[in-house]
Amino acid sequence: MPDGWSGFSYLVINLARFIRPDEVTFSGVNSTPPMLACLLAKRAYDFDFVYLNVAGGVQPTPSTIPISSSDPVLAEGSTAIFANEDFYDLCTRGGMDLCFLGAAQVDGLGRTNVSVIGDWHHPNVRLPGGGGGAVMLPTARRAVTWRTEHSTRTMVETLDFVTAAGGLAGVVTPIAVFVKRDGRLALQSWHPEASLDEVRQRTGFDFVATAATPTPPPSVNESAALQTLDPEGQFERDANIAPLVDRCSLPRRR
Amino acid sequence: MPAPKIMTLADMAARVPDGASLALGGSFLHRGPFAFVRELIRQAKTGLEIIKQSPGYDLDILCRARCVTKARAGIVAMEGNFGLAPWYRRAVELQQIVLEEHACMTLTAGLRAAAFGVPFQPVGGVHGSDLPSLNHWASVTDPYGSGKEVWVIPAIQPDIAVIHVNEANELGDARVYGTYNWDRIMSRAAKQVFIVADTLASVQSFKDRPELTLIPSFMVQAVAVVPNGAWPGSCWPLYEVDYPAVEDYMDTTRDLGLHMACAPERLERVDA
Repeated sequence: MPDGWSGFSYLVINLARFIRPDEVTFSGVNSTPPMLACLLAKRAYDFDFVYLNVAGGVQPTPSTIPISSSDPVLAEGSTAIFANEDFYDLCTRGGMDLCFLGAAQVDGLGRTNVSVIGDWHHPNVRLPGGGGGAVMLPTARRAVTWRTEHSTRTMVETLDFVTAAGGLAGVVTPIAVFVKRDGRLALQSWHPEASLDEVRQRTGFDFVATAATPTPPPSVNESAALQTLDPEGQFERDANIAPLVDRCSLPRRR
Repeated sequence: MPAPKIMTLADMAARVPDGASLALGGSFLHRGPFAFVRELIRQAKTGLEIIKQSPGYDLDILCRARCVTKARAGIVAMEGNFGLAPWYRRAVELQQIVLEEHACMTLTAGLRAAAFGVPFQPVGGVHGSDLPSLNHWASVTDPYGSGKEVWVIPAIQPDIAVIHVNEANELGDARVYGTYNWDRIMSRAAKQVFIVADTLASVQSFKDRPELTLIPSFMVQAVAVVPNGAWPGSCWPLYEVDYPAVEDYMDTTRDLGLHMACAPERLERVDA
């Protein structure tokens, strides 16, 4: 990659790589990276999938890419409105193949905290809350979360609160992709400009890295699709992801 | 003749007693009854309970004005690039309000119980979460023998559901363009329904397409017509989020009165 692979681009493209042909895939509120991943997959991959979103969209073709991932423009071009109760019920009855759900903290078991930092009753930081998490994480066939910050305070050994538990299939950060294996998160791949050591150093829980490799670089189609979604780089700037490697606090990379 | 339901926003808000529980329609910055919420602040309501799966601006500004003492919610944020709702966060951290934390669908299950006329309602999922013990929710084993354990949520019956809609008529029928979010179940669960409409439409237009009506008039007690009443949020397809106005609101050093003075319903009140 002559120009490097930014943390933002890595995050969006690797979220998109969880999307599979013909499956029902959902992106929700407060979820800009998965929204972009779903729209990217529609442009970059030569297979179809059913894209649903929290704006009621069913296979939408939005004319603009909104700042808010619940913006009603995300239902533009839909032939139906599939509203909130519809997609939740679809999920709990087993009809949601892939669901993207947010998290503030993730533990090694793939459980998430989106509720609080500190004690729930005496919070240091009151976080937004899990939204769909507690219901969708255990009932979606696969759920995938993301973090724009990969650190020992986001990838933790012990959650401050278990907002949701269950079917987490993967986590994407700006430097790594984890997948669930034998009940725990295992490293699948790391950013080719980072290293396994760096991932270990910035992760609070132990994980298996057997068979993990550097992440395959973005394809021409993936890069082109992201370029059409974010031509001015506004989403990338807004995501405000720290530079890939914090060279001050890390041992020399290999 | 039944009493007319069309009234000013001020008269509608005056019908809300201190301490009432209010379900608010829409989601985050989209199609929320925000003009109504600001009118609650102008009338200095206190002790309100807010019920909404995904509140943001509405719950935040009510916390800022100290109108709220309890919130039942699934996710609270300003969304987009704005992140956490600052005044709500502060109110919870300082224990100025009581939070009943839900998943969006557990809150909906509570509303469904009220709508269905039963004391509790099963909900899918929730297994492994700390939310049940936090909220003292019970689970039941399938009485029909599958062996499955299901969480059950007690009924949640709001005193009033307040829904911002695209169009209503003078009788109180209301319709929404785009997603109706959680508004349908809110309207069925609440004891009363208040409608704030961006546009007044003819009764005939509803008769022409009755299947588009989300909330039928017999369930509605009050209607106010407030153009741009979801400001600074969106009302699809009429207008988008006014992001500069939200940015101004998010400046916590800026006086709330400056924000309130920009609200479109202030203009309406001149003629009211």
